[in-house]
Amino acid sequence: MANAKEETLDFIWHAPTFKTKLVNRNTILSAVSIASLFLSWALLVHFQVYRFSLLPSPAEVLEEGIAWVKTNVFWIDAFATTLRVLVGVLAAYIIAIPLGLMIGWKKVFSDLTFPTLEVLRPIPAPAYLPLAILLLPTREASVAFIPFIDAFFPVLLNTITGVKIIDRDYFRAARCLGSSPKQIFWHVVLPGALPSISSGCAIGMGIGWMGAVVGEMITGKWGLGYRIWESYILIRYPLIVDGMIAIGILGLASSVLIRYLTVRLIPWRRAITESLDESITK
Amino acid sequence: MANQTASVESQFLRQISKKFLNWSLLRQIMSFVLFIGLWSIIVVAVDYFHQIPTPKAVFLALFELPITVVLINILKSFFRVLAGFFLGIVIGFPIGVAIGYSRVLKNLIFPAFEMIRPIPPIAWIPLTVLFFVHIESQIIFLTFYGAFFPIVYNTMGGIAEVDIRLPRAAMSFGLERKLMLWKVILPAAMPQIFTGMRLAMGITWILVVAAEMMANKGGMGYYVWYNHTVMDYPHVVLGMGIIGLCGAICSIGINFVGNYFTRWRRIF
Repeated sequence: MANAKEETLDFIWHAPTFKTKLVNRNTILSAVSIASLFLSWALLVHFQVYRFSLLPSPAEVLEEGIAWVKTNVFWIDAFATTLRVLVGVLAAYIIAIPLGLMIGWKKVFSDLTFPTLEVLRPIPAPAYLPLAILLLPTREASVAFIPFIDAFFPVLLNTITGVKIIDRDYFRAARCLGSSPKQIFWHVVLPGALPSISSGCAIGMGIGWMGAVVGEMITGKWGLGYRIWESYILIRYPLIVDGMIAIGILGLASSVLIRYLTVRLIPWRRAITESLDESITK
Repeated sequence: MANQTASVESQFLRQISKKFLNWSLLRQIMSFVLFIGLWSIIVVAVDYFHQIPTPKAVFLALFELPITVVLINILKSFFRVLAGFFLGIVIGFPIGVAIGYSRVLKNLIFPAFEMIRPIPPIAWIPLTVLFFVHIESQIIFLTFYGAFFPIVYNTMGGIAEVDIRLPRAAMSFGLERKLMLWKVILPAAMPQIFTGMRLAMGITWILVVAAEMMANKGGMGYYVWYNHTVMDYPHVVLGMGIIGLCGAICSIGINFVGNYFTRWRRIF
C-alpha cells in the first residue's frame, strides 16, 4: 500500500525501480538530512551567528543530558508528566468515545448535545486553565485537565465521523435480521467506528502531550515542562533542550504505542482508514 | 379569491414551519437551554462549585466589559495568530509541495523534520525567549512553528495521495509538465491542504493563548489570566467565550476560502 503511494507521482520523474539493498539512495539521503540538522546546529552555535551564541551546543546538551538521566530528578519528572498526560487523555477517551458513539448513532442525542459541544470546541485548552484551577481540588488535577480538554475534541469528532461513515446497509441488514438496538450497537456501531476512533486516540495522545507541557509551565511543581521552564530561569540552558528532547521522545513513544496497539486490536482498520489516518495524524 | 389567498398563506406558513419549526431544530435549541440550565443548577446546588460564576453573572458581566481594552486585546491576538499562520503558509506550503513532489527532496528534508516534529511547540518557549529579542516576535515565532508542521505534512500528504489517473490523463491529453502542478496536482490536493490549514489554525490559537498567559504583553490570553489573578471569574468566562468566538471566526474564514479553492468538488 505504502509503496504504491510512493509511486503515485514519481512516475513523472523516474521510472519505478526496485530498491532492496539496505544502503540505497533513500537511506543515504536520510542520513545526510539528519546529520545536516545537527551539523548546522553545531556550526551556527560555534560561529555565533546572530543570537545563536546564546543557545547551547549539541555537545553541551549531550553532556548535561547524560548527567540528568542519571539523577532521580529526571525519572520523577518524566513519570509525573507521563502520569498527567495519561490521566487526562484516558479520561478524555472514557468520556468522548461513548459520547461520540451516541452522537453519531442517535439523531435525538446528537441534537441535544452536539450544538453545545460545537460552541465549546473552538475555546483553546489553555484558556480553561483558570477555571480548572478553580474547579478542581488539586494542582495536579488542574494540570491534567489541560490534556483532557486538548484530547477530548479530536477523539469526539473522530468517533462521530467513524459512526457516520459506516455504510447504512449494515444497519438495515442488522435490523432486517431482527437485531435489537443493543446488538446493533455492539456488532455494527462499535466495530465500524473503531478504526476512526483509534486514529482519534493517536491524535489525542499527541495533542495531550502539548497540553501537559502548557499546564506544567504555567502552574506546576514537577514534570518535564516545569523542568524546562525552571532551567530557563536558573540559566541552565542545555537542560532546556534536554527537556524538549525528552518530551519529544516520550510523546512519540506514546503515539507509536497507541498506533501499534490499535493495529493489533483492530486488524480490519488498515484497509479502511489508512488514508484517513495518515491525513490526520501527520 | 379570498379563499385562494388564504390557502396560499397557509401553504406559506406551513412551509415556514416545516423549515424552522421541526423537532430537530427545537432540540438543538433545547441543547443550549439544557446546558445553561445544568450549569446554573450545578453552581447553585452544589456547594463545592460556588466559586464558578453563574450564567447570569456572566451575562451581567457582558455589560461591564471594558470594550476598548478587549478590542485591543482581540486585535493583538488576531495579529499574532494571523502573522504566524501566514508565515507558516508562506514557508511551509512550498516546502510541502517540494517534498510531496520529489522523492529526493523528501528523503533529504523529511527525516530532519521527523526529528523536530514530536517536540510540542510549547516546549520551545524558553529557547524562543532566548533567541528572539522582542516579545512580539517570540509569540509570532511560536504560532508560526505551530502552523508550520500541519501545513507541511498535509500539503505533502495531499500531493502524495493524488489519484495517479489524474496526472496520467492530463499527460495523455498533452498537458505540459510545467502546468501539471498548477492545473492538476495542486487542485486535486487542495482538500487535504485545507485540512492542514484548519488544524494549523486551531493550534495557533492554543499557542497564542498559552504564550500570552506567560508573556504579560496583552492579548486575550493575558486578559483571561489577568482576570484570573484578580479573581474576576465572570470576565474569565467571557474572555474564554471571546477567544472561542475568534477561533470560530478564523476557522469559518478558512472554510470559506477552502470552499473557493475546492470548488471543483461541487461538480462531482
